[in-house]
This record gives sequence, C-alpha cells and structure tokens, in this order.
Amino acid sequence: MKRLLGVALGVLTAIGGFVDIGDLVTNSVVGSRFGLSLVWVVVVGVVGICVFANMSGRVAAASGRATFEVIRERLGPRAGLANLAASFLINLMTVTAEIGGIALALQLASSVQYLLWVPLAVVAVWLVIWRVRFSIMENVTGLLGLTLIVFAVALFLLKPDWSSLGAQVLAPSVPEQETAASYWYYAVALFGAAMTPYEVFFFSSGAVEEGWTIKDLIQSRINVLVGFPLGGLLSVSIAACATVVLLPAGIAVTSLSQVILPVAEAAGKVGLAFVLIGIVAATFGAALETTLSSGYTLAQFFGWSWGKFRRPAQAARFHLSMIICLLSGAAVLATGVDPVLVTEYSVVFSAIALPLTYLPILIVANDPQYMGEHVNGRPVNVVAMIYLVIILAASLAAIPLMIVTGAGS
Amino acid sequence: MAKGSQRSRTALRGACFVCAGVAGAVLLSGCAGAPGSVQDSVSTALKDSSSAVATARLALALDAGGKLTTAATSTTLDDALKELETTRTTVLQLSPTVQDDRETRREALTVLDESIAGVTTAQDAIASTDGSPTLQDGDQLLENAAGRMATLKTQLGGP
Repeated sequence: MKRLLGVALGVLTAIGGFVDIGDLVTNSVVGSRFGLSLVWVVVVGVVGICVFANMSGRVAAASGRATFEVIRERLGPRAGLANLAASFLINLMTVTAEIGGIALALQLASSVQYLLWVPLAVVAVWLVIWRVRFSIMENVTGLLGLTLIVFAVALFLLKPDWSSLGAQVLAPSVPEQETAASYWYYAVALFGAAMTPYEVFFFSSGAVEEGWTIKDLIQSRINVLVGFPLGGLLSVSIAACATVVLLPAGIAVTSLSQVILPVAEAAGKVGLAFVLIGIVAATFGAALETTLSSGYTLAQFFGWSWGKFRRPAQAARFHLSMIICLLSGAAVLATGVDPVLVTEYSVVFSAIALPLTYLPILIVANDPQYMGEHVNGRPVNVVAMIYLVIILAASLAAIPLMIVTGAGS
Repeated sequence: MAKGSQRSRTALRGACFVCAGVAGAVLLSGCAGAPGSVQDSVSTALKDSSSAVATARLALALDAGGKLTTAATSTTLDDALKELETTRTTVLQLSPTVQDDRETRREALTVLDESIAGVTTAQDAIASTDGSPTLQDGDQLLENAAGRMATLKTQLGGP
C-alpha cells in the first residue's frame, strides 16, 4: 500500500512538475497563432523526454554518476567544457525565465509591478534550496502545479467545436496568415520546451542525491512513462484554450496575462485562482530545479563537492554557484528585459543545445563498462537513434529559422 | 604542464566561441525580423497593436462579467499599453521618404494614439472611485480604434 502511494505521488508530482514557464508561454503562443496544428510536436517531444529521462535515470542508477560527471569523463575536459558552457548558459536563461515567471504570476495576483517581486522570488528559491528536504520540495511544488489541470477543465467548460479541434490535430497545416518558416520555428520551440535539458540534469542528479539503485528504476520508469505523457496533455490543454479563445479574437500571445484569459472566460475568478496558484507553483518548482541544475552541472564538471543533502559549508562552491546564478538571473531581469521574451529564446536554445547532453548519455547508456547488464536494449536503441536524428535536425534548423523569422515575430 | 595549459586555453576558446555564437544568433534574429519598407513596418505594427487592443477588450469584457479580478485586469491592461507604446515607438522611428509613406505613418500614429487613449481610459475606469470614466467608455474608444485599425490594415493589403 505504501509503495502504491509512493508510485501515485511520484506520478502526480511528475505531471504537476512537467509544465514550466517555457511550456506555458510556448503552448499559448502556438495555440493563439497556429491553433492545434503543432500538437504533433508535443507528442514527439513528450516521447523524446521519456526516452531521455529513462536513459539518464538508468545511467545514474547503474553507474552512480550524474550527467555532467559522465560527460566530462566520456568526452574529456575540452569537449566537455564547451558542452558545459552551452548547457550552463541555457540553464541560466531558463533560471531567469522561471524567476520572471514567478514575478509575473504574482503581479497578476496582486497588480504590484513584477520587478518588485523578483528579489522576493530569488530569496524564496534560495531559502527552499537551503532549508527544505529534496523530496518535500519536489512533491509540494509538483502537487500544487497540478492545479494547472484547470486548463483542461476550462477547455471542456468552453464547449469548443471538438470536430474542428480534432481536424487541426489530425490534419496539421500552416495557417494562412503565418509563414512556413514561422511554423517550423515554433515547432522547434515547442520541441525545446518539452525536452529542456535542465529536466534531465535535475532528474539524474536527483537520482544520485536520493541514492537510487537499480531497484528504484521501476518506480522512476512509471513516474516518467505515466507522469510525463499526462503532463504533455496539460501542455496540449493550454494550447487548446488559446486556440478556442485567443485565436478567433486575433490575439497573439506576447505576455503571461494573455495566457490566463481563456481560463477566466471559462471558469471565472475560481478558475483564475487555480491557474495563478498553478503558475506560481510550476514556475517556482522549475526555478528550484534550474537553479539546482546550474549548481549540479558546474560542480559535477569541476569535481566539486555537491548535493542538496550537504550543508552549504560542506559544498561551498556548489551553493555559491547557485547563489550567483540566482543573482545573475535577477540582474538580467532588473534591466527590464521582458521575461516572456527570455522564455521564448530559452526554449529555442534548449533545442539547440540538446544534442550536447543527449549524445553522451546515449553513448554511456550503451557502454557496458558503466552500465554492466543494464545497457540499452535493441528496441530502446532504435527509438533513441531516431530521436538523435530528430534532435540533431531541430538543433541545426533552430538558428537559421530564428534568423529568417526574426525569432518568430 | 604546458600541454595542459594549452588544452585549457583551447577549451576556454571553445566555450567563448559557444557564448559568442549564442549572443550573435540573438542579435541576428533581432535584426533579421525587421521588415524592409515603411508599409511593411506599419503593417507589422498594426498587427501587433490589434492583438493588444483585442486583449484589452477581452479583459474588459471579462472584468465587466465578474470573471476577472481587478489585479488581473489591471495587469492585462498594463501589458496591452506596453505593447501599444512599443509599436508606436517603432512607427515613430520610421523614416518615410515619399508622401504615401508619410501619410501611412500619420494615419498609423493617429490610430495608435486612439488605442492608447482607449487603454488609459480603461485603466482610469478600473482605478476610479467616483465611477467615471466607466469601463464602457474605455471599451467604446477601443472598439472605434479597432475599427480604424482594421480599415488601415485592409488599405495596406493586410489580412
């Protein structure tokens, strides 16, 4: 019974923790501009993150090493450092976007300017990382993030034309007012939003922090294979709400305040309360994960003592690097840069950097020296190789598409 | 030792190259999005503005229906105003060289000013303690601006 409850909690946390500011913004932008014609990308992205998280979780459990330890060891310091620079920079962009997301959601709840919420968000993130246990931190934010299910409820309350929505999903096409380049640019952005590398750094480092063994892999697989697809359904609901309410009104999403309007239309102030709690929880949870991921990547690469279970004095450089990341994110936001714009760039750059972490994990997952009998099986390798091609294609196409479309504008 | 330091210098160069690449891509994407002619720029500005006006009108309708809190309505209107101000600045910075383009810019600025007036009236209505102006006043101004914006977009050959 206790085990069953543990599995249920893990799945619920995975669903609630799946959505972050990147998913919220990108799905809303796409829904408001392209309808549901890009839902197929969410499906591709969710399957991809399941494959990636499953492999990295297995690598962590079988070898006892987290992603960046493996990357440095397998690629060597030179290629590893270039890899670290790209991954860290994108992680820092994501930290900035998530802190901005918390602040914007709090502005929506209070009408107090978001910049005034930024220092509070930074301090709160640091306090939770410092004082709160890993499992509590993960479960509380994940479970509160579940309130974003209000998007799915709102979709039913809006009574949409289901056949029209179904047609958009099953026969995707580029809308008349959009270009093919914009369509593919947002396809890459959605893919990046679903397959953000920080999720994998956090997942594999968390596995080491929690001392996973091979026995824990079954539960982790259930969490990933059930939780992430259900989280993907949440992403589709966000896009569908924007498709039903914003697209016909000619509203192209450029701010977080537009993301919540469909829920308010469908479910009024009660729905609004749920969606605001959900956004704060989702962005706060993601801010914790990305901040920790920044510390993890640096500490694992340079061989510093790391881990949330270690007191700051025992892992001073790990904790200091996280403080610096949080302050850097706050400093970027203090310049007045639009957090939604940072989010839009961060998801695209996530897609660009994805091969840098995916490839080493794929190599190690096939290396019997690290994995023993737990190397990838043939079916997993076939899927993983297909995804390698997709990830490389998305990564190579991202910058040309960004330049051609002016970042999708 | 020397080999090691050369390696780390190469690695550092690689890392710098990655950072410079990312920064360059962001800059290029910002520049590449800028359309060529005055008419194109005004079309894009009007497209962005009509989205902001529609957002403000939807927020006002939801507020009037008791579905949106004052804080959320106020934030949504702030965001719409920011969008309109950005597009107005973009249009102001255009340098038309022929009469047609000057006329287009003048008309666009007029309609953007009307939109901004509509949003600020709506903001005043939200903050008002004496019941004036009303949400309807703001919505009426925004409806008029949306109509003129649609006409101008059609004249410029937009959708």
